[in-house]
Amino acid sequence: MSTTETGNSSTTESAVSGLDYEETQLTLAASGASRSELERKRGFSEGVDLSLETKDFLSGSSDEAPISGAGEPSAAKAQVVGWPPVRSFRRNVLKSCTYVKVAVDGTPYLRKVDLEAHAGYQQLLTALEEMFSCFTARNYPNERLVDPVNGTEYVPTYEDKDGDWMLIGDVPWKVRSSSNFTGNIKGFGSHVEAINKEELEGAISTIHGKHHSTENNLVEW
Amino acid sequence: MTYFPEEVVEHIFDFLGSHRDRNAVSTVCKAWYHVERFSRRNVFVGNCYAIRPERVMARFPGMKSLSVKGKPHFADYNLVPYDWGGFALPWINAAVRRCPGLEDLRLKRMVVTDDDLDLLARSFPNFRSLVLVSCEGFSTDGLAAIATYCRGLRELDLQENEVEDHGRQWLSCFHESCTSLVSLNFACLKGEVNAGVLERLVARCPNLRSLKLNRAVSVESLNEIVARAPYLVDLGTGSFAVDHHTDAYQRLMNSFSKCKSLSSLSGFWEASPHCLDAVYPVCINLTVLNMSYAPAIQADDLIKLISLCFKLQKLWVLDCIGDKGLAVVASTCKELQELRVFPSDIYGAGATSVTEEGLVAISSGCPKLNSLLYFCYQMTNAALITVAKNCPHFTRFRLCILDPWKPDPVTNQPLDEGFGAIVRSCKNLRRLSLSGLLTDQVFLYIGLYAKCLEMLSIAFAGDSDKGMVYILKGCKNLRKLEIRDCPFGDIALLNDVAKYETMRSLWMSSCDVTLGGCKALAAKMPRLNVEIINESEGSDKLEENISDLHKAEKMYVYRTVAGPRNDAPDFIEAKEAKRNSRVPKESGRRRTLVVVQ
Repeated sequence: MSTTETGNSSTTESAVSGLDYEETQLTLAASGASRSELERKRGFSEGVDLSLETKDFLSGSSDEAPISGAGEPSAAKAQVVGWPPVRSFRRNVLKSCTYVKVAVDGTPYLRKVDLEAHAGYQQLLTALEEMFSCFTARNYPNERLVDPVNGTEYVPTYEDKDGDWMLIGDVPWKVRSSSNFTGNIKGFGSHVEAINKEELEGAISTIHGKHHSTENNLVEW
Repeated sequence: MTYFPEEVVEHIFDFLGSHRDRNAVSTVCKAWYHVERFSRRNVFVGNCYAIRPERVMARFPGMKSLSVKGKPHFADYNLVPYDWGGFALPWINAAVRRCPGLEDLRLKRMVVTDDDLDLLARSFPNFRSLVLVSCEGFSTDGLAAIATYCRGLRELDLQENEVEDHGRQWLSCFHESCTSLVSLNFACLKGEVNAGVLERLVARCPNLRSLKLNRAVSVESLNEIVARAPYLVDLGTGSFAVDHHTDAYQRLMNSFSKCKSLSSLSGFWEASPHCLDAVYPVCINLTVLNMSYAPAIQADDLIKLISLCFKLQKLWVLDCIGDKGLAVVASTCKELQELRVFPSDIYGAGATSVTEEGLVAISSGCPKLNSLLYFCYQMTNAALITVAKNCPHFTRFRLCILDPWKPDPVTNQPLDEGFGAIVRSCKNLRRLSLSGLLTDQVFLYIGLYAKCLEMLSIAFAGDSDKGMVYILKGCKNLRKLEIRDCPFGDIALLNDVAKYETMRSLWMSSCDVTLGGCKALAAKMPRLNVEIINESEGSDKLEENISDLHKAEKMYVYRTVAGPRNDAPDFIEAKEAKRNSRVPKESGRRRTLVVVQ
C-alpha cells in the first residue's frame, strides 16, 4: 500500500528525482513549447498543484505522489497498488499490446505494428517490408541506401520527446512489454531501417508528453 | 395461507424467482419455512465463509443449482493476498455427500483446483452447467476432467479466470457423443486448442448458442465455425487477425452475413482496423458489443461499427473511443442500457481518452441508460449534475477518475455536488463507486438520499470519521462497503457495530482503523469475523509486540454463523469474541489465529 511508510519514502524519492531529471536534461529543440501545449491539452498542471495542496490535509499522505503530471514520473502512479481499479486479467491483456504507428515518407497512409510480436530487428523489418511492400526496398543494417538519382544517403530517423530528430539504431533492441501507445518513425525517402524499441518509446513519450522514469523507458542520451 | 395444503403453498412459491423473496417468505412461519426449504432449487451464497456448506445442503436438500462467492471484491485489484482463502473444495465435498443431484455450479472469486474439478466431474451424473468467474488455481487438466466426465454438459463458461495451460488438449476430451453443449466460453485461456476438434465439436452440437473463443483461435478456424453454426446468438471471435485483402476475409464476411441470430459480439483480440467491415452485416441486430479487449481498434473504426448498431443495449469499449465516439453512440444507440468505458493506457495519461463531455453526450442521447462504468481523467460537477438530470434511472453508477483526489478542473472544487446530484436524482441506485476529490459532504448526501444503495466503493475520499458515519447511519440497505485510503478510523468503525450484522461485509484498507479498534469490534459482535491482513515485512511474529495503536493495514469484516474459519493463512489475524451460550451452535470452536508476517 502506498500509504505505508515504506511506500511513501520511495515515491518521494522517485518524485524528486523525476523532477530533477526533467529540469536538468539538455535539449536542442524549444521543448518548452511542446510541453506546454501538451499541458494545455491534458489540463493537468492545475490538477497537479491542487492535488499537492489538497493532499496536505489528508493526513499521512502528504508525501505521496500518485498523480502523473509534467514532472511526475509515471512510476509513482504505478506504485499505488490496485489503482486504477482494473482487473488483473484486463491489465495483462492491455499490457501485452504494443502497437506503434509507422509512417514512411512518401507513402499515402500509416500502418500499425505490434512490437511485442517481433523478437528483434530482422523480424520487425520483414514485417514492415510486407506492410510497405510497394514502397520499400530490402535494407540491411549495415548497408547504406543511396538515392540512385542524386546519390544522397537515406537514413531512418524518429522524433523524440523533445521534438528532436534522432538517428535510429544507437540503442540495442530489447523486447519488453509496455502499455498501448502510438509513436512515429519516419524514414527519409522511402526506406525504413531496423527500429529500436527504446527509441520508439522515447518517440512515444513525445506524443504523450509523459516523462517515463521507470526502468523500462529510460533512454540513454 | 397456512390452511392451504403444502402443495398449493409450494406452487405459489414457485412464482417467487428471487432469493430475497424466498428468504423473506421462509421467515413468516415454520410451515412456510419448511415448504420453502424443500422446494428451493437455486441457492445463492454471497460469502462462502458466512455459513458452512453442510448447513446449506441440510437446509435445502432439493438444491439443483448453487452459486457461491469467495474473496472480497477488492481481490480483483490485487489488494487481497493470493492465498487468502475462498476454497471451492468444502462446497464440492458437501454437495457430493448431500446433493448428488446437483446440476449447476457457479463460483466467483474462489480457488478451484484441478482435483476439485475432477471430483466435481465424476460425482454429479446430472451435471449441466459450470460457470467460473475470476477464479484461479486450476489448469487445462481440470477442464479435461470436466469435458471427459460430464456427459450431458450444457454449459462451460470461464470468465476472466487465471488458468494454467498444461498443453493438454482438453477440448478433445469431449466425447464424440457429446452433443448437448449450449454455451462454451474459453476466451480467457491462453493456450491453443486443436482447430479440427473445435470445429467438429461445434458441428455436432446443434443447440450451441453461445461460443466465446480465445485469442489463439485463428480467423480461418473462426470461419469454419461460423459457417457450421449459423444459429449462434453470442460469439466471441477469438483472434480476428486478418488482412482485409485476403480471401479468408471475404469468406468471413460471407459467413457473418448468414448469421441472422447473432446479437452479441466480443473478442477481437488481435483485430486490426479494416477487418471490422466483416461484421457490418450483423450490426443491425446487435444488442451486446464488447470491444474492450481490442486495443488496436481506434476511434474511427469504432465509430463506423457502432453507427450501424441501432439496437445496442450493452456496450463495453476502451477509452480510445474518445468523446467524439461517445457522441456517435449517443446519437445511434437509443436503446443503450449499459455502458462501460475502460482505460486503454493504465500507466500514464492517454493521448486519446474520454472526458466529462462524452458522458454528458451519452446521458442526453441514451435515456434508458441504467448502468455505467466510466474511466476518465477528469470530471466536473456541472457534468455530473447534467447527467443526473438526464438519467434518473441509474441502478449502477461507477465513475473512476484516474488521478486520485482530482478536483473539478473548471472550478477546482471537490466533486461532492456532482455525486450528490446523482444520488438525489437516481432513487433506485443500488451500486455506486466514487472517485476524484471528495469531502465528508458527499457522504452526507449519500446517507441522506441513497436509500436503495447496496454496494458502495470509496477510495481516496473524505476528511474525517464523520464521512463514514453518515454512510452507516443513512444507507439502510447497504450490504457491501469497501473503503481504501480514506481517513476513517476507530470512531467511525465502532459508531454502530450492530450495523455490520445487517451487511454482508466491510472492507477497509490503508485507513486509520487500529488493531485496538478491530479487537473492540470483534469483542462486541460475536457473529462477525474480523480479519486483519498484515503484510508488512520484517515484523515479528508475536502479537504481543504490536500495540493496539498500530494501524490495521487491511481489515475485512463479515457477518457469519459459521464462526471463525479454520483455513485462514498465516498472515491473517482473526478476531472473535469468546464463546458464550448465546452464540448459535453452528458456530465453531476455533481458537484465534495469530500472525503477522
